[in-house]
Amino acid sequence: MKNKTEGHSIKVVGATKNYGTLAALDNFSINVKPGKFTVLLGPSGSGKSTLIRSIAGIEKIDKGSIFLGKSEVNRGPINIAPEKRDLAMVFQDYALWPHLTAFENVGYALKRRKMDSIEGAKRIQEMLERVGLGAKGKNYPHELSGGEQQRVALARAVVARPSLLLFDEPLSNLDADLRERLRVEIATLTRESGATALYITHDQSEAFALADEVGVLRSGKLEQFSTPEDIYQNPTSTFVARFTGLGGSFIGVAVGFAKGVATVQIGKDKITARSTVKIVKDTAVEILLRPTASSLKAATTTRTKNSLPGIVLDTAYRGRGYEHLVETEHGQISGIFDLRQWSRGSRCLVEIDQKSCLAFPAIPS
Amino acid sequence: MAKPEVAQLPQLRAFSFWQFLQNKFKAITVFWFLIVFILVLPIILFLSVAFSPRLLDQGPQWFTLSSFKQVFERYFLTAIVHSFFLGIISAFFATLIALAVAWYVLRTNTPARKIWNLSIFALLLAPSYLIALGWERIFERGGVLNIFGVDLPVIRNLLYGPVGIGMILTFKGIPFAYLVISNAMRGLGEEFEQAVRVHGGSRWDALKTMSTLLLPALWSGIAIVFAESISDFGVASQLSSPGRFSVATFTLYRSVESLPVSFPLCAAISVILLLLVVLALLAQARALRGRSFRVLSGRTRPSQRQNLTLRGKVLSSGGIYLLLFVTLGIPIFGAMSASMIEGLGNLLSNYNINFDNYFRVIKSPLLRNPLYFSAGAAAITATVAVILAAVSSKMLVSTKSGASKKFLDFFLLAAVGLPGIVFAIGYIFAYNLPIAQKYGFHLYGTVALLVLAYIATALPSTTRSLVGNMNQLQESLSEACRVHGSNAIKTWTSVVLPLIARPLLAAWCLTYCGTLLELPVSQILYPPGHAPLAVGIDHSLGNYDFGGGTALEVFAILSALLVVGICFALFEFFAPTGWKQLGKVRA
Repeated sequence: MKNKTEGHSIKVVGATKNYGTLAALDNFSINVKPGKFTVLLGPSGSGKSTLIRSIAGIEKIDKGSIFLGKSEVNRGPINIAPEKRDLAMVFQDYALWPHLTAFENVGYALKRRKMDSIEGAKRIQEMLERVGLGAKGKNYPHELSGGEQQRVALARAVVARPSLLLFDEPLSNLDADLRERLRVEIATLTRESGATALYITHDQSEAFALADEVGVLRSGKLEQFSTPEDIYQNPTSTFVARFTGLGGSFIGVAVGFAKGVATVQIGKDKITARSTVKIVKDTAVEILLRPTASSLKAATTTRTKNSLPGIVLDTAYRGRGYEHLVETEHGQISGIFDLRQWSRGSRCLVEIDQKSCLAFPAIPS
Repeated sequence: MAKPEVAQLPQLRAFSFWQFLQNKFKAITVFWFLIVFILVLPIILFLSVAFSPRLLDQGPQWFTLSSFKQVFERYFLTAIVHSFFLGIISAFFATLIALAVAWYVLRTNTPARKIWNLSIFALLLAPSYLIALGWERIFERGGVLNIFGVDLPVIRNLLYGPVGIGMILTFKGIPFAYLVISNAMRGLGEEFEQAVRVHGGSRWDALKTMSTLLLPALWSGIAIVFAESISDFGVASQLSSPGRFSVATFTLYRSVESLPVSFPLCAAISVILLLLVVLALLAQARALRGRSFRVLSGRTRPSQRQNLTLRGKVLSSGGIYLLLFVTLGIPIFGAMSASMIEGLGNLLSNYNINFDNYFRVIKSPLLRNPLYFSAGAAAITATVAVILAAVSSKMLVSTKSGASKKFLDFFLLAAVGLPGIVFAIGYIFAYNLPIAQKYGFHLYGTVALLVLAYIATALPSTTRSLVGNMNQLQESLSEACRVHGSNAIKTWTSVVLPLIARPLLAAWCLTYCGTLLELPVSQILYPPGHAPLAVGIDHSLGNYDFGGGTALEVFAILSALLVVGICFALFEFFAPTGWKQLGKVRA
């Protein structure tokens, strides 16, 4: 892309939005730096769609403020119209206009910005070429495949070089292969444009692959906001840890805590785990294992400090090796990777890496 | 690399009362102003007479329910119960027949589909009294069958009773239901049908599934036909009195005609009719509660026509031809025979067939001027009503507009249930009040008031006919417009209107045709020297010029068909390809 746009910062302060008695956003605040690719990750009902739609101006928040750059675009129900916010959006259902061709769909925003028609046509064609649809400009949406339709939606969003790009779960309707290819296209096109990007998804692998920063949402609140690495390695709550990928979890009792490492008694076994919060001795603790925390050893191997005996329940081929599901005395552990396949029913020893093993005070169910 | 562009965003101004006003009162204010003055005010003022006769100088009491007591006496109550059941029966059968016809016409290669498409507007155009007259001409004493020596008293007796009235109301309801259902069916991609078939469902199962997806349109169809049926006056005037089978509108007419006129009683009957319509609205809302029927999106693929077997073609075509014969053929024959045969109705006459009456219509200003006047009024009415109906239907399907949506929904459906004659009286009340004169609304006795009344009576059914289509538009299509730089008006013109262009055109034609031959409002509100078509025909018939009156009817129908034909031809020639391919069926 020849010309880069300077992205807007996004600042949301105390945003609250209720649908009847349901709080979609609950005093929500976030600060996104200009030009960053930020992904908001959360389960259904966590408020991420409401937030992105409020930033777009489609929804109005009940309380709080939203700033794009230095401009306050929302203050409670008073807001600046979506078309004046210099942004574009890729929708989950693509939202391509069925009466317009791919070329006309992509060119829509340019028309609104009154761009010279020759220059505009050139830019639209370039953008269609860029997303691999140079020959399909005359096709109507129903004449395109799902992946092609989403590419048109992506081209439509980027072509006018807005300062802010919003993505509302754009890959959720596509198959795995297409998701991966379009994910790469979204990442490269967005970063080339220079715009600030806000992307919402419930898929943690998608979030980590795309983001400069990830915000995890829960019940209308921001649970944690940091880099993907930090969120993965240092989740601040069991919710964040669970939502960003777990291989298993055990409940035990803390028998020691020093320098951010907790020692937890689980039945007859003792496991040491990192903790980002303070653990009080003799209290119930939940141990959360990242899938990368565990490795398999032969059952005959001498047991070390952080190891548990188990039986392989299932195995799945993953291209460069195998993932295993192992039953231990304290529960199941999934996603244990090994280059060789362990046969189902075979005995093994699961070694747990302290660095990828997290301890949190147990929350009574 | 070029220097980055920095976009400047507008600043949000400090919250103020003025900003609140600007935020709330924009173009939509004009819409609400019109809705209140042409729809809400006349209805409320007139209906209030039922409770407070003194409010409009119709009696001594400020508050009384005595008019309702009269309504619940045997004579009026029987008529209301008759109307209610006739409304249900005609709504059910008309919607069922319309669904079947829509499926055959839009989704199969039945040979009769072309003739049906050509005939649909003639069906819409034919006023109910014309259809009833046609049937009368065949079976009445001294009618066509009598001339040929055939007398069928059993059928004649059935015609002048609930069977005949219900049948004609069903015939009249079919095109309304068909328009709503077919427009919705066009937006329904073939994937839903295919999903049923590939999972082991028969063609019948596919039809059942489609019917479920078409529920908003089916309920709209039922609501429209029910409301049209209980407020219909044309059939009642022709078949109710001779058969002595009372219906609500005819008793209402009798109350207005009798001296002294009991307006509180008329208003009370209207309130009851209104409540019946509210029942239909509640049933519709209950059936559709919490369910989404948004099926039209950028991913919708056009459906494919199914090839019928020879037996299927014969049966489907036979059914459609039979339907056209009973709904159109007989009324046309009735009008044609009256306009071309002298002496019909008198067994002792000689029968001469000629075109003299048609030449008279062309030459006589007295006969042709009403046609010109109504054509102009109908064009203005259709244009304004379609614009308002588009906004109204969008509001009705919106997930955001809460209280205003319910308010609008209530008044639009209530207005469908009000007979035209009542509406017209309401207009006289509202715009002849001293307060209206005081504030400069000198509208009584003007063409403007007549056209406003036309718009108000057309708006409810036009809105209902568009709701099904609006319901199919995914909101993200409009939202995508807004976030890509369009304001609300541009979003409408660039996306919403093109996506519903064909239904809008159909709605325009429907309203034009309906207004052209409108009777009750025309009869009561026409200004001196500007007789509308229906009044012109009525005057001719009243002056025993049966030939001239019916020839004018035939001319009116032909002119309306011509206008409809021109509209669709212009659409096919000039509309962008993208607009036309929506709802198209692959051969």
